[in-house]
Amino acid sequence: MRRLLNRVHWPLWVVLVLIALALILPLVSPWTYDQIDWEAVRAPAFSGSHIFGTDEIGRDRLARLAAGTQVTLMVAIAAALVSLVVGIAWGATAGWVGGKVDEAMMRFVDALYALPFMFIVILLMVIFGRSILLVFIGIGLVEWLTMARVVRGQVMALKQRPFILAAEAAGTPPRTIILKHVLPNIAGVALAYLMLTVPQVVMVESFLSFLGLGVQEPLTSLGILVKEGADDMDMTPLGLLLPGGLLVIILVCLTIEGERLRDIFS
Amino acid sequence: MLALVARRLMTAIPTLLAIILTSFFLMRLAPGGPFDGERPLPPETQAALQTAYGLDKPLWEQAWLYISRLAQGDFGPSLVYRDFTVSELVAQGLPISLTLGGLAIALALLIGVSAGLFAAVRAGKAADKTIMMLATVATALPTFVTGPALALLFGLWLGLLPVSGTGEGWSWLIMPVVALALPVSGAIAKLTRAGLATVLKQDHIRTARARGLPETKILFKHGLRPALVPVASYLGPAAAGLLTGAVVVETVFGLPGLGRYFVQGALNRDYPLVLGVVTLYATLIILFNLFADLIYGWLDPRMRDG
Repeated sequence: MRRLLNRVHWPLWVVLVLIALALILPLVSPWTYDQIDWEAVRAPAFSGSHIFGTDEIGRDRLARLAAGTQVTLMVAIAAALVSLVVGIAWGATAGWVGGKVDEAMMRFVDALYALPFMFIVILLMVIFGRSILLVFIGIGLVEWLTMARVVRGQVMALKQRPFILAAEAAGTPPRTIILKHVLPNIAGVALAYLMLTVPQVVMVESFLSFLGLGVQEPLTSLGILVKEGADDMDMTPLGLLLPGGLLVIILVCLTIEGERLRDIFS
Repeated sequence: MLALVARRLMTAIPTLLAIILTSFFLMRLAPGGPFDGERPLPPETQAALQTAYGLDKPLWEQAWLYISRLAQGDFGPSLVYRDFTVSELVAQGLPISLTLGGLAIALALLIGVSAGLFAAVRAGKAADKTIMMLATVATALPTFVTGPALALLFGLWLGLLPVSGTGEGWSWLIMPVVALALPVSGAIAKLTRAGLATVLKQDHIRTARARGLPETKILFKHGLRPALVPVASYLGPAAAGLLTGAVVVETVFGLPGLGRYFVQGALNRDYPLVLGVVTLYATLIILFNLFADLIYGWLDPRMRDG
């Protein structure tokens, strides 16, 4: 754990600080994200208690940014975990069993890679209502493919290592070998790819929200805020620039950190 | 080569069928139907419409009918834009989406390959690090942020380019294409840089240097071609990404492309329209993957029989 903490680099600190701010701000702010200030509709920045002003129906921008960041990152982390679980299960099975099973399972992954998967997700969202739970299950189910490929490669390499062969020779049941010897050894790489999955998921979630298919009012997310800002940008550019900028900062930092971890572990 | 094309086309048909059937049944699981407008229609009219469009038949029969008509090139009528067939709607949207996607991938290749090449030549220097950092930033730029931001800057503030619609000339294409191409070009730059770094260390490059060939010839003739193999294998997923991005860009810039019909169709439960767009998208992606495989074989002769 300490080794891991030492490897935390500035981009991740930026994201952690932003998360902390998003969690603390609602506690100290005089406004909530869905509260309308009838006195100050479309207030400019630094007017009274609205540091970033208010939006076109008088809601505090800062409070909405904090709430949107919370929801976006929560969905992202949950969906990334879904992809982690599915990806590890699929990839480890394929890599461990090998042979025909492996070939069939990886063919399936290859086939899915090339599909217009976002369209199936859009269909899912349109059809089964737009619950936040479904948003992240839907996204998680799309984003597990890379994880499965990477884990499979790692497992296949591990399978030949002496300590695994020794465990097999000693008659350790496969379940125990996988849980005790294989999984701990792929944790690092899996973590790196988890880090790279989070920005992917943030992107998909914001994309869906932007099209009006993701998180629904009164809940908000960075994608919704970007959409609202884009619709109103001729009046108040700040409405687009703030959530857009925040989203880009989060995406860039997570990508840099994920790529760095990936290079360390592979 | 021909065998590869034939084999790919053989697997393409079941893939397409699977996508169409999945979309078909997903659509039908949805509550609501195409005829629930603002004012509910009288039940007799509803029933008459259902019968007229064959929506009262068993689902499997409808699926079979749809696919057998599709095989003859008939996408069926649109249930919501009732004066149009799906083919007519798609014929309007497809050229716009294809132009956007085609130009975006060309621009991304141009920017990405030249940036990656430049960075690889300057490996380890400040220029290399700057370009790679910029490439990382570019890959993390979502089109739904860059699109409106570009529109704000060049459309509203500077007044240089049209903010929405397909106006006169070509200027309306610039911002949508740039917004679409940016993330792809970042990814291509990285792949090119990484590919070249590996290739330039290989024996055939050392031999070429030892023979005293000019550096530009080594780079372009012997280095770049094998280095582009990873780029070629990225083109398939990139095409899928571009089509998704096009949905956003068409919404942001108010362009009447396929993506808008897809989202609108899904929301309106216009079953044939959605299926038609999905079929087209899937066909495009499959064709593009085949094309990428052919490029792959051209770049790396060892892959030709693969």
